[in-house]
Amino acid sequence: MSPEEAGRSNDDDRVVMCAENLREGMRLGPVHYVVSAAQISSFAAAICARNPLYAGGGAVAPPTMRLNDYALLIANHFRGGKGGVHAKHWCEFHEPMRAGQAVRAEGVVTSTARKRGKFYFTLEYETRDASSGQLLVRQAITSVLLNPKGEMA
Amino acid sequence: MKTETDNLRAGERFAGERYLLDAAAAEAYGKSIHEPTRRRRKNIHTDAEAASRAGFAAPIAAGEQTIAVMAQLLVDRFGMRFLRGGRIEVALVKPVLYGDSLIANAQVERAGAEQIELRLWVEDQRGEQVLTGTAQARAR
Repeated sequence: MSPEEAGRSNDDDRVVMCAENLREGMRLGPVHYVVSAAQISSFAAAICARNPLYAGGGAVAPPTMRLNDYALLIANHFRGGKGGVHAKHWCEFHEPMRAGQAVRAEGVVTSTARKRGKFYFTLEYETRDASSGQLLVRQAITSVLLNPKGEMA
Repeated sequence: MKTETDNLRAGERFAGERYLLDAAAAEAYGKSIHEPTRRRRKNIHTDAEAASRAGFAAPIAAGEQTIAVMAQLLVDRFGMRFLRGGRIEVALVKPVLYGDSLIANAQVERAGAEQIELRLWVEDQRGEQVLTGTAQARAR
């Protein structure tokens, strides 16, 4: 696993993951990876998907297989923290990822807000073909960030 | 696997098979995604104390896994008409505990010439909704 896949830079100059360090407009990434046929198989099996689109030489990836790239983007920029609670998500599927395809993902923090004592943030991120730049998926996660005690409030 | 949409009418419902999200399913899912190392530490998905601090009765399943089950219903129904040009927007409205079994549901809200609009929900074995949302797929 590359440092980017592991969510780490070679020099760990990442900032602490906390509300004070999350700001609108903050850009995260990019991270690069090659879509893996093995991951397509294991992900499809994990969700009991038997769709033939996921099998064979021209296999496409299940649409949410790389949904958690947000975590790679966050971990590439931040360290520590207690994580978050996934609240909302949207995805636009432009073109499915395919086994063997080299892709690039990057994102931007589009909103931060404290509501009823909870700190919410939204990270919008997109994945493109690394060679052509073709947009594959655009999506956004809204999460409640846990505070340093691991609490939502 | 049905992918025809020509006969869809507003109000029509379809649902997936029941999906048991137990510890084994969560482990299989966890191994199939690429996570940063730090996420593998104790957290609300793996540790009762961490889950309790966050306000949950027990460790909860990753919301992503429920979204994946929901999205799969749409792939099975619409195929490339969802994978190329589709959209999904969901809220995770109730935590899923390990051992819960989920059924993904969709109802056609509008069946246009170009686009199918759907209301989505995933319910657990108690019939309670854990995910709600909307989706669009290409009609052709």
